[in-house]
Amino acid sequence: MKYIEPASLPEALEILSADDEARCLAGGATLVAMLNADLVEPSTLIGLRRIDELAGISVSGDHIRIGATTTHAQIAGDDRLTGNAAVVRDAARQIAHSAIRNMGTIGGAVCHADPNADFPGALVAANAVLEAAGQSGRRQIPADEFFLDYLETSLEEDEILSAVMVPVEPVGARGRHLKFSRTHGDYATISISLVLAINSGACSHARVAVGSAGPAPVHLAEVDALLTGSDLSGETIKQAGQKLMEAADPVDDVRGSAEYRRMIIPGLLQRAVDELR
Amino acid sequence: MTDKQAVTLSINGDPYEVLAAPRQTLLQVLREQLSLTGTKCACNNGVCGSCTVLADGLPMRACLMLAVAATDREITTIEGLEADGELHPVQQAIIDHQGLQCGFCTPGMVIAAKALLDSNPNPTLNEIREELSGNLCRCTGYVKIADAVLSLAGAERGQN
Repeated sequence: MKYIEPASLPEALEILSADDEARCLAGGATLVAMLNADLVEPSTLIGLRRIDELAGISVSGDHIRIGATTTHAQIAGDDRLTGNAAVVRDAARQIAHSAIRNMGTIGGAVCHADPNADFPGALVAANAVLEAAGQSGRRQIPADEFFLDYLETSLEEDEILSAVMVPVEPVGARGRHLKFSRTHGDYATISISLVLAINSGACSHARVAVGSAGPAPVHLAEVDALLTGSDLSGETIKQAGQKLMEAADPVDDVRGSAEYRRMIIPGLLQRAVDELR
Repeated sequence: MTDKQAVTLSINGDPYEVLAAPRQTLLQVLREQLSLTGTKCACNNGVCGSCTVLADGLPMRACLMLAVAATDREITTIEGLEADGELHPVQQAIIDHQGLQCGFCTPGMVIAAKALLDSNPNPTLNEIREELSGNLCRCTGYVKIADAVLSLAGAERGQN
């Protein structure tokens, strides 16, 4: 295995497209663990840490741009991530433990696409757009269309995720990522990512996604529509929770049975709404 | 072919030149090439915290960092905490509170506690418990470790 640290994104893309077995390395929190366990054997590792344009957070116009190699700790500590983007920050601060948050990056996490992780649901709830860079240019992929299946995304093999763009709108919105887990720092048994805007008692914007509930975040436009315009009464939340529960397709594993995971959803949704109201 | 490459690491303030294969972790290089065996290997998966080191002052897992990607970073291991023959206050507090039994988790625990106190000199018991929750100990039940760290906080405080 070779290790290369290109200084620019075009250079990294050139190496990646020339070698089917090359893999990109960001923080290492997942990929190095997989190397240690002999689960992957890339021919070349492309270290992304010298590529300045992939690093850091910037606010420009209607969105907040989070570079792919921005760490979870940097996201958790950035108070510009408010309003709609607060759900992403809230997810970041609940990922694993600080030693992992100091290493792991948002790009690495979303490209790994573990449906039990915290970012996928939060990015769907925030209506984020993922920017994929390829040799022929860049394309934008809505979070809803990015997470396809367990560990599978719509990123092409010769593309590199360059940034996550989180819309600033709706300005008055607030976000919460509520995680139900066995113990501090564990993956969620179920997580709810919720963005809400409330104007004079009525909900003017709602977007909710459920994590650890199937191969990709569970997001239903009809649930968002049910909540939007409503007074967020207990009855409405119950209906919304019921629909999400029916759409969920979780697995049975050490973190809970599929049935147990489903049953948590309505109550956790209610709790998330209560915290944002 | 192993594709070993020359790597310059800065550890506890000293430069080290090593030949490392790309897939060798910082943890392997520390232990196997530099004989800095205070940093322990248990899960080799980022979960247990026994390999925690500081990189540019921040706690990170040495088992998840490739040595080739650890250049240009100031690495601090447990061996680097002692100064002028004096143990670091966290080390002394762990001894004073009997916060160890087998001692295997202790280096990682000390590094994590030092990182916490560096960023938050007056943590609450809950903050200590939360921060150290990424370091597993199979012996102590954690109470004495948390007590040791709390003794270094400005004053003993309640749960919140």
